Amino acid sequence: MTDATREIGYEQARALEERYLMRTYKRAPVDFVRGEGALLWDAEGKRYLDFLTGISVCSVGHCHPDVVQAVHEQSQRLMHVSNLFYTEPMARLAERLAESSLGGRVFFSNSGTEANECAIKIARKHAHRRGIAEPEIVSFESDFHGRTYGALAATPGLATNEALGPMLPGFRAVPRNDAAALGEAVGENTAAVLIEPIQGESGVFPITDEALLAARQACDEAGALLIFDEIQTGVGRTGSLWAYEQTPVRPDVITSAKALGGGYPIGACITGPAAAEVLEPGDHGSTFAGGPVATAAAIAVLDVVGDPVLLRHVRELGAYLCEKLEALDGVAETRGRGLMVGVGLEEGMDAAAVGADLLERGLVVNAPRPDTLRLLPPLVIDSDHVDLAVGLIEESLLGFPSR
Amino acid sequence: MSRGGKPTDISKRQDTQKALRADTAERLEAIVEAAERAAESVIDDAEAQARRYLAQARAEADRMAADRGGELGGMIETLLGQAVSLRREAERLQATLEEAKARFEPRGAPSAEPRQRPELAEEREPEEAPRLRAVPTEDVPAPAPATPSERSSDAPGARLLATQMAVSGSSREEIAERLRNGFEIEDADAILDAILGPEER
Repeated sequence: MTDATREIGYEQARALEERYLMRTYKRAPVDFVRGEGALLWDAEGKRYLDFLTGISVCSVGHCHPDVVQAVHEQSQRLMHVSNLFYTEPMARLAERLAESSLGGRVFFSNSGTEANECAIKIARKHAHRRGIAEPEIVSFESDFHGRTYGALAATPGLATNEALGPMLPGFRAVPRNDAAALGEAVGENTAAVLIEPIQGESGVFPITDEALLAARQACDEAGALLIFDEIQTGVGRTGSLWAYEQTPVRPDVITSAKALGGGYPIGACITGPAAAEVLEPGDHGSTFAGGPVATAAAIAVLDVVGDPVLLRHVRELGAYLCEKLEALDGVAETRGRGLMVGVGLEEGMDAAAVGADLLERGLVVNAPRPDTLRLLPPLVIDSDHVDLAVGLIEESLLGFPSR
Repeated sequence: MSRGGKPTDISKRQDTQKALRADTAERLEAIVEAAERAAESVIDDAEAQARRYLAQARAEADRMAADRGGELGGMIETLLGQAVSLRREAERLQATLEEAKARFEPRGAPSAEPRQRPELAEEREPEEAPRLRAVPTEDVPAPAPATPSERSSDAPGARLLATQMAVSGSSREEIAERLRNGFEIEDADAILDAILGPEER
C-alpha cells in the first residue's frame, strides 16, 4: 500500500472533509474502504449490501475483475496523450458504442453532464444550420441532466436557483408525460427535445409511450433533434443495453456516462446519422476525455453488459424484485424498468429516514424524494441478494408505520 | 638360504612392488581413460539424442503450429461467414426499422381536437396511464379511439418497439407482453412474425 492509499479511519476522514472539502454534499456517516461485487466494507469492517452502486456507476459490481484488469494493464502501458493523437482503446470503444446504438459518431467526455453539454452544442448548431437564430431546447419538468451550466439550464428543478444566475437562455420545460404540452412547446425555434426516458434523480419515473411518441412526432415535424439522456438508464440498467430499445421511438442522439466506465469516470455523446456531422474541428473538445485507461475500462464493461443472457437476467430479476417489494406493508408502488427501481412508500413514511435506517442495517439505497427509495443494484446480483435486500427493507418498514 | 641374501630379496621385492605399482597405475590410468572415453561417448550420445529430440520437438511444434494456423484460418473463414450473415441480418433489420419509421413519420397535421393536458403520471394509478392513440392522417377525420381488439401492428411505434426489443435480445414472449401492456395489442403474431419470422410450432 502506498501513502496515497493508506487508510486513516472514519473520524480522521470526516475531520479532513469538514475542514477542506467544499460543502456541496451532505454525506452519510460511513467511510467505505473496500468493495467487491455487490458488497461494500466500511473502515470498521462492517459489510453492506450495495443497492445503489454509486448511483448506478458500478453496475457490473464493485471492482469487477475484468474492469480492474483492463485498467491495470492499460495504466501500465499508457495513461494519457490527449486528443491530439490516436489511441486504440478510444477508437475501439467509439465503434462499440456507435454500432450498438444509433450508428453515427461519438464524442467522449469525462462525465454525464459533459456528455449533455456536447448534445446541447449539437442541438444548437444543428438548429443554426436550419436558420434558427435563437434555438430552444425543451425538457420535462423534474428532468435531471447535470450541473454544468448548459445541463443545469435543462434541469428545471435546479435552474431556478437564482444565486447561480443568470442561467443559459433557450430552455423551457413542460410537465412530465404531458404529451399535449410537449407538442405545443415544440415549434419552429425548437432545436431539440432533451429528456430522460426514465427520470432517475427525481424518483424513477418512466416516460410513457404516448409522451415519447409525441416527442418524436413533434421533433420530426419541427426538424428538431430528439435527445435521450441515458446517463442513468443506459449500459444495461433497464435490461437492454440502452433504454430506448424498449420504447417505441428511436432518438437522434443519446448521452451516456455513469455505468459506462464501471467505476472509472467517462461519458459519451452518441449520435445517429442525422447529427453525426454537425460538430466540426474547433466546435468542442476535452483534454482528458477518451483517455486510454477510461476507454479500456469501458470496453471491459461493455464486454460484460453486452451479454444478452445478462440483460435477460436484469429484466427477470427486476420483475422479481418489484413483485417482492409490492407485497410489503408500507410499499405503495414500484416504478421503473429492469434493475432501475423506485419504491413509492405509503403516505406519511419518510423515505430519507428509512434509507438511513437501512444503511445501519447494512443495505445501501438512497431517497431521491421524500416518498421514494431508489434501488440501483449491481446487474450481476442474483435472487438471493434480492431476497436479502427485500428482507431488510421489510424489517425496516415495520419501524416506520404509515399514516 | 643365507641371511646375506635377504637384502637382495628385499631389493627384489621392492623392485617387484614398484613394478606392480607402476603396472597398477597404468592399469588404473587405462581404466580411467576407458571410463572417460565411455563417459564422453555417453555424453556425446546423450547430446546427439537430445539434439534429435529437440529437432523432433521443433518439427512437431512446427507441424502443430501449421495445423493450428490451418484451424485458425478455418475459424477466421467461419467468423467471416458469420459476419456476412450478421450483416445481412442487420440490413434486413435496418430495412424493417426504416419501414417502421415510415409508418409513424408525420403524415399531416395533428388532430384538430383540442388536446387535453393529462395529469402527471405519478398522480395516478399505473393502470390509468394514457394509452396510445393512432395519429390521424391528413384530411382524414380523427377516428374514434380503437378498442383493444381493434388495435393492430399498425399502431404508431409498435413495430419499431418490437424491432428494437428484438435487436436488443428480448424474447418473443417479452415483446408480445410489452405490446399487450403498452399498445393493447392482444394478438401480436403478425408483427412478431414479420420481425422474428414465424413461430415454430
